[in-house]
Amino acid sequence: MPFVALLERLRPQCEAIIAQYEDPRSALLPIMHLFQEHEGFVSPEAMRAGASMLDVTPAVVESTVSFYTLFFRRPVGKYVLQVCRGLSCSINGADEIMAHFRERLGVGPLQTTDDGLFSYEEVECLAACDRPTCMQVNLEFAYDLTPAAIDDMIAAMRGGTYPVAPMAQTQTPGKTWRVGQDGEVSTGHKTKGALEVESPNNAGGLGDKSGVIMLDRIVLRDAEFRGRTRERVVIEPPGAMRELANEEAR
Amino acid sequence: MAGAVTKVLTAGIGEANLRDLDVYRQRGGYKQWERAVRELKPADVLALCDTSGLRGRGGAGFPTGKKWSFLPGNDKPRYLVCNCDEAEPGTFKDHMLLEETPHLVLEGILLGSYGIGAHHAYIYIRGEFKRGYAIFMEALEAARKAGYVGKNLFGSGYDLEVTVHRGAGAYICGEETGLLNSLEGKRGEPRLKPPFPAVAGLYGMPTVVNNVETLAYLVPILEKGAEWFASVGTERSKGYKIVSISGHVQKPGNYEVALGTTARELIEIGGGLRPGRTFMAVQPGGGSSACIFEEHLDFPYDYESMTKAGSMLGSGAFVVFDDTTDFVKAAHNLVRFFAHESCGQCTPCREGGHWLEIVLERFVHDRGLMSDLEMMKRVSSTITGLNLCALGDSIEPFLKSVLLRFPGQFENRVMKETVGA
Repeated sequence: MPFVALLERLRPQCEAIIAQYEDPRSALLPIMHLFQEHEGFVSPEAMRAGASMLDVTPAVVESTVSFYTLFFRRPVGKYVLQVCRGLSCSINGADEIMAHFRERLGVGPLQTTDDGLFSYEEVECLAACDRPTCMQVNLEFAYDLTPAAIDDMIAAMRGGTYPVAPMAQTQTPGKTWRVGQDGEVSTGHKTKGALEVESPNNAGGLGDKSGVIMLDRIVLRDAEFRGRTRERVVIEPPGAMRELANEEAR
Repeated sequence: MAGAVTKVLTAGIGEANLRDLDVYRQRGGYKQWERAVRELKPADVLALCDTSGLRGRGGAGFPTGKKWSFLPGNDKPRYLVCNCDEAEPGTFKDHMLLEETPHLVLEGILLGSYGIGAHHAYIYIRGEFKRGYAIFMEALEAARKAGYVGKNLFGSGYDLEVTVHRGAGAYICGEETGLLNSLEGKRGEPRLKPPFPAVAGLYGMPTVVNNVETLAYLVPILEKGAEWFASVGTERSKGYKIVSISGHVQKPGNYEVALGTTARELIEIGGGLRPGRTFMAVQPGGGSSACIFEEHLDFPYDYESMTKAGSMLGSGAFVVFDDTTDFVKAAHNLVRFFAHESCGQCTPCREGGHWLEIVLERFVHDRGLMSDLEMMKRVSSTITGLNLCALGDSIEPFLKSVLLRFPGQFENRVMKETVGA
């Protein structure tokens, strides 16, 4: 469905939401939730439409949307897997659970699998500390995770039998790419020892196709570092971009 | 009686389907609401709240009646906002109340609104509680149909509307002014105080923000009287509290106890430690609080005693650590949490959390520096108390408490040989 048609369909609902509040701008979060529900993410078009309904600038909407972790500004997988990394889960085995997810899915936090089925995230305390490790699948809870339960869950999602509705997916999520070890860094520093550097791609902002990603603390990924550490390194992955271009051409 | 679980707000949970309006009514639900509107004046509700000694259950522990009394006596519209943005690490009580007994939560909101003379109440529900949101919406619609919410309630001429607002993932929106900004459709950045919300809150109008559990206690207080509530607890910490017990205990869960129950009793209530394990520490008030140790276990669990023990009661999250705990990793975990959740307005919080996280990540990878150990002991003076809100003050209490108590765990993670120089 083109966005214009979606907008016209949702407009009455948006107006009903706005009417609930003394100030229209209060409807910003609920309206963005509504668009995300239908589009699978908050598209630039949705932000512009929201801005005009609420009589604020698109920049105001984007600034607000970007403040909240549950709004995706980029297409995500059909199942958004958000595993709790909070302290109570962490001291009760969350690390093994997260490692198992990464290994089974082949992606790291904030990434989407190439088949567009899964987006994976490690999130802060989900307020279910009595049943560690907990997680949310498209915001529905799953508790007491074990590696075997995870395997069953992933299989059920692949087979379409998992009891949680998949996210809407109006656009294909971007490909995840990796920058190999010893990639060149624009500042003249090398990513030596940085293992594999991956592109975050569903939080919005970072890791887009511009070919520049910002990484926090890659030196701490078991890297050799001499004297002072550089905590932020901007890298340009020309190789990765070529790879991506090739893949898209195919 | 200390040491025992008493079900007040949690009564009926797990036994009856309290989400059903009829079930809730059969158990006396909405009787207090009807009685308040028909027979009591708002000032009577405020007086009951005040004399019961009820204090905020969300974290700060501020006396609820006093908070209400700060509202100015003007005729501006005023609002009640129920804070259900529960995200303090280790806390899961509001999540349970919202999902298991939504009508009690709603009745509390109604009573609170009446007590302060509001005609419009809001509840701000954490974005992750999608299910809780749906459950509460259903309860609200049922209550509206039954005539508990809306215009001219019980023929008294009193109108009250309730609006449910869902957050979108931001711990800082649990801070009351951050919450108000988020409710106004803005970034959830805390405001400079004063003015406090009581004077200029939602849309610049007088506003009271109360936690879910705080408001829910109004229902039994109206039913059984302020004296009943004030007769339980300790001198300045009255009544009951739902404690979210988790970590290294055998039966983690939410347990409602009288304030003043000792920390040792709480561990027993939570099923005790796993066999063969020894106790190391407890974090008694959520991710923001410092640890307490063996010598504090017989302290009563109340606001004053936890402060005396060097920590706080906070939101009532009680996380137990046994001898398997890697406190370096635990400290890194919590500092990372606060660094991630900092809204970024205040430099000490934004930068302090970020750099501390980097330092601790070095320790996690056995690459700590000796000089960092000293730095971490005194870093609080450059972070704590220098921010708009309490998030910045929450970054290092846990770290400092375990660093001073278990220095060996940190020293072992100092880099063995210095690379380069």
